[in-house]
Amino acid sequence: MLESLTSLIYGFNIALQPQNLLYCFIGVTMGTLVGVLPGIGPTATIALLLPATFSLNPISAIIMLSGICYGAMYGGSTTSILLNIPGEASSVVTCFDGYQMARQGRAGAALGISAFGSFIAGTFSIFGLILLAPTLANFALRFGPPEYFALMVMGLTVVAYLARKSMAKALMMAVVGILLGCIGLDPITATPRFTFGILELADGIGIAPVVMGLFGITEVLENLGVLTKTEVFAEKIKGLFPTREDWKRSVGPIARGSLLGFFLGLLPGVGAIVPQFLSYALEKKLSRHPERFGNGAIEGVASPEACNNAAVGGTFIPLLSLGIPSTAMTAILLGALMIYGLTPGPLLIKNSPDLFWGVIASMYIGNLMLLILNLPLIPLWVRVLKIPYSYLSCFIILFCLIGAYSLNNSTTDIYVAVVFSFVGLLMKKFAFEPAPLVLAFVLGPLLETALRRSLILSDGSVLIFLQRPISAVFILFSIVVLVVPLFGQIRLGRGLSEED
Amino acid sequence: MRRTRTIATSVSALFWVAVGLLTCYGASRLGVGSVTEPGAGFIFFWSGLILVILSLIVLADAIRSAEDAVREMGKMNWAKIALVLLALLLYAFFLERLGFVLTTFVLMSFLLGCIEGTNWVRSAGVAAAAALASYAIFELWLKIRLPKGLFGF
Repeated sequence: MLESLTSLIYGFNIALQPQNLLYCFIGVTMGTLVGVLPGIGPTATIALLLPATFSLNPISAIIMLSGICYGAMYGGSTTSILLNIPGEASSVVTCFDGYQMARQGRAGAALGISAFGSFIAGTFSIFGLILLAPTLANFALRFGPPEYFALMVMGLTVVAYLARKSMAKALMMAVVGILLGCIGLDPITATPRFTFGILELADGIGIAPVVMGLFGITEVLENLGVLTKTEVFAEKIKGLFPTREDWKRSVGPIARGSLLGFFLGLLPGVGAIVPQFLSYALEKKLSRHPERFGNGAIEGVASPEACNNAAVGGTFIPLLSLGIPSTAMTAILLGALMIYGLTPGPLLIKNSPDLFWGVIASMYIGNLMLLILNLPLIPLWVRVLKIPYSYLSCFIILFCLIGAYSLNNSTTDIYVAVVFSFVGLLMKKFAFEPAPLVLAFVLGPLLETALRRSLILSDGSVLIFLQRPISAVFILFSIVVLVVPLFGQIRLGRGLSEED
Repeated sequence: MRRTRTIATSVSALFWVAVGLLTCYGASRLGVGSVTEPGAGFIFFWSGLILVILSLIVLADAIRSAEDAVREMGKMNWAKIALVLLALLLYAFFLERLGFVLTTFVLMSFLLGCIEGTNWVRSAGVAAAAALASYAIFELWLKIRLPKGLFGF
């Protein structure tokens, strides 16, 4: 504990350096902006800004990119409350009661409690991160290729389990993601695989153009000619500080939301969306007046907003301690770490303590910045929302094209982004979810290497995955996750909103 | 409506069956190897096979109508979507030939004027500002190398 505290102080020394403070500020502001704007999310934004961070040192770069992740959670609630349109998929639940509060003239209180709840949850999850990540990393030092393979399989099956419609379809997308991720030279024999003679594909398909296509351009294409005008409900927002009564109602939900979000965010594949729905359902169940939910109950804003922020902190734990991303957003951060020449995994904390503790300390500073700046800046975000969508959509397309091009300075990547934007559109039409594809796309090469190494280790015996206790637990858990839906309709993803 | 959905899901499942089979074929040409000595096509072969099995499950579900699997989307303007996709492909084609600023100006003018219905003078103005501002931000400030093309910008 004392060691963690000393390391944290060291982290603050790094995070408080003027350059890192500036990049933290840019990150949280960009995050809030993309959180506010429907149509472009943090995943695409991180991919877009990735090339711009190459000239920075890795610590400043990761500080900025992490700022986008949690900044977007703050921004997402603004559009949910004022417009009834979630700026982010993880702010869907906030619409239910947040917008009703705005209609009742309590937009200020909804925005206020959402900011305070987010801050409290963010702080809680950072302390969780401090306590758990080093412990988990130490534990993961025992992991060999079979454990990593089993862990990745578990992550992918959990993602499929949480799919909102068909689990089989989500698994299909995970398999397609693995296939796409493995395109390029064979890691052992250097044989070109499925490159079709295209030289640029020898290094594999880049994550940036795939994300730009699937998450950025697809969104614009879907809304072409549909979203032409956005109407902001509240013209003048008053009373951003919640009253004593508001606090009394919200303290419990914020605490429960923080706990639930953090622990669910820890699990591979869960992300921030599902915990939000669960926290809302939990509050409704616990409430003595469940009929108030959906009609402007402040608990219905406080808990989910705390929950999605805590979940983001939770998703950083598998990323920083195991080197395994659990969401599409952290998958890109993993890609970023590798581009900066760092080796994600259990040794990251030991080998790069300045990065780990610097980023954690910056998350606390960033949360504080968001609390201080976000509420006074709400009128500015409202003004941003009044920019016609026609302009915004064209700019989103342009930024996506630049983002796709600039990673390798290759027009092939633009073609890839355009192809994936069309693929993304068809996926939406036929109800295939993009998240398992992106996650598997990043994990694919790691998964293949771990599988092949495991088989070499065991001299070709697949039983190695069941003979080693840790990997056996992961594999058995994956089997349970796959088998459970066969015996009933108890899938968390079912019944969730269609909005993604 | 349900029948249309079943057909759509079946078509998408059959498409993935075909992709899976082609992947298995390609993987076998690369060399699948064995469990003791996995070849370059090992992961592709087994993933392709799993894809075929999963697609058949989706197909069976669709036929039994257990899955209400095609998403109801708002009316999509397929003509506009096709135009935008074509414009983006042309953008990729001309980007290194004509340079970033000029190609971006043309693309933005087209998107704003033709697709979003903004008047042409305003479109051209916004497009010029967007091309120059993004050049200043990405090339001059963030030092990202953007293509220069014929005219050197």
